[in-house]
Amino acid sequence: MTDTTGSVVKNESEIGNGLTPRQAKKLRMQSMTAEERGYVRRKAVMDAVWPIFRFVILFGLGFVILYPLIYMVSCTFRERSDMTDPTVMWIPRHFTLNVLRETLTAMDFWNTLKTTLILNIGCSFVQVVSCALTGYGFARFKFKFKGLLFGIVIMMILVPTQVISLPLYTQFRYFGIRGLFTINLIDTLWTMYLPAITANGIRSGLMILIFRQFFRGLPKELEDAAYIDGCGPLKTFIRVMIPNAGSAFLTVFLFSVVWYWNDYYVSSTFFVNTNTLARMLTNLDVELKIRLFQSASVEISPREQIVWKEAGCLLSITPILLLYVCLQKYFTEGIARSGITGI
Amino acid sequence: MAEEAIKNEETVTEPGSPSPKPVNKRRKLTYERCKQLYGYGFISIWMIGTLFFFLIPLVKSFWYSFNEVSIGEGKMMTDFVGMSKYYYVIGSDPNYTSYLSDTLKETLWKTPLVLIFSLFIAVILNQKFRGRTLSRAIFFLPVIIATGPVYKIISGDMNSTGNTGAAQFSTMFSTNLVGQLLQFLGIYGISDNMSTMISTVADNIFGIVWSSGIQILLFLGALQNIPPSAKEAAQIEGATAWEFFWKITLPYVSPFILANLIFTVIDSFTSPTNTVMGRILAMKEEWKFGEAAAMAWIYFIIVLVAVGIVSLIVSRFVYYEVE
Repeated sequence: MTDTTGSVVKNESEIGNGLTPRQAKKLRMQSMTAEERGYVRRKAVMDAVWPIFRFVILFGLGFVILYPLIYMVSCTFRERSDMTDPTVMWIPRHFTLNVLRETLTAMDFWNTLKTTLILNIGCSFVQVVSCALTGYGFARFKFKFKGLLFGIVIMMILVPTQVISLPLYTQFRYFGIRGLFTINLIDTLWTMYLPAITANGIRSGLMILIFRQFFRGLPKELEDAAYIDGCGPLKTFIRVMIPNAGSAFLTVFLFSVVWYWNDYYVSSTFFVNTNTLARMLTNLDVELKIRLFQSASVEISPREQIVWKEAGCLLSITPILLLYVCLQKYFTEGIARSGITGI
Repeated sequence: MAEEAIKNEETVTEPGSPSPKPVNKRRKLTYERCKQLYGYGFISIWMIGTLFFFLIPLVKSFWYSFNEVSIGEGKMMTDFVGMSKYYYVIGSDPNYTSYLSDTLKETLWKTPLVLIFSLFIAVILNQKFRGRTLSRAIFFLPVIIATGPVYKIISGDMNSTGNTGAAQFSTMFSTNLVGQLLQFLGIYGISDNMSTMISTVADNIFGIVWSSGIQILLFLGALQNIPPSAKEAAQIEGATAWEFFWKITLPYVSPFILANLIFTVIDSFTSPTNTVMGRILAMKEEWKFGEAAAMAWIYFIIVLVAVGIVSLIVSRFVYYEVE
């Protein structure tokens, strides 16, 4: 083996500059052992075939992902009779905006959107702040029972909401000190805000974990410098750590918005008349019948209902989709960078 | 502020100090203690919240599962009935056990597939090619949609209305070609099982692709953290892509496999298409709180034990770079 490589070097140095690259390559190939030649050939073949293969895979799977979205758009702008027309697949025969308009009224879209936004952005904001504080506490301080308390954080990640939602309901139904006073918080935004303020909102365990990992990754010298300059821990956190954690904050905030946006389970446990977009969409069948046809007993064939359902889907993902398109970088890079996986 | 605390501590804890040396020692100790208090300060908000919105409900829910629960005035009335709710749920509930076994089976085969698939896609998306940003944007799209009710509607439309894009897509695979191939090769027994398995997988491509958004994201992050020196070394040694994957990529992403496994399982809890959770919700709407709690606990504990065992096994093979 060493001999051959030696000869390669020798050959190449002998060749000089008089040859075309092609001839030089041929010479080089000749001087290789069979094994090396095989490797080079296989590599060349792979380099040629792989991009095609990759394109086919990505295109096919990308289609699987985009299909429902394209279908949504296609359905939203067609009349419901087009659904039963077998010749219509993608491009509607009767183009119309009526379905969109009807869905807007049925969902009471603008009011619902307002409620959803107030709920989402507010909750996400307070939750990010409280989770950051908690995460920082776990990342940089040593205290008794830390292991146990962090175990509870892990439990918060693992325990599904369904397990605790019921006692939580009674907790909010009779909120207060027993015997002194109780308030009924059901159907108010407090049911979402209170857990969010105290770092117990939707998937907050995960967020605490992300923040903990992130703060652990920052160099300790930053804080030591601040301590020497006479900052207390809280001031250090606000003045030194937060400016450094901008991208982590934004990422967690965005994911929080998405999770609150998509949450249907928690909100339908606590809300009766307060409607978020996710709840509206789930109850769209009933709402449609009541608001459009003024009676709950109208039978619309399930196939034709799709038109409104897809329009509703389109309406309720558009805002979040816009957010995604604008801030895609933070969605995709942030969570990987913050290094959630030190588990 | 910190200094004040130190002084306070000093005076309170041990008033008399004989020699200057222990003072120094104690000052260090009190500083530590002070930091400890700050630690509690930082997590105090969370501690209060967790007590009220997590721990108490958790214990209560566990308690409910052993009780006949009814609504009284101002609070829930409980009447201890022992394990009978559990017996009822497993023995007599018409749907629960079948839903449970279906969901568990689905989690069992879907989770590894999601992991393999997302690793595969992450490796592809990590290569350099034209249109990479666009492909990444598309493949992460499920992250923002798949946790919500929109996903339920689109996947429902896929399955129920016959207008199934995913099924059309997968008919290429499900036309029993594999079975025929195996029969041709003279293998009979497994052919049926194999082909049903492969066609289920193909039919569920939609579900798999749509539930692996975050996993792709995490794997991609892991792949980007592979040090360039490892890549160079492999290239100089003449490793093929295949060898590179098994010897370099897999060890480096192995810690993420565990994280992704847990993440996939948690996601399946909250998935809008999870029938067990749907059944629990239905029980709640009938105000059968005891049964609902028992159902939730059985499901949760089975999954927790399974995840625990798998992570124990997996964590043996996880490679951590020595720092």
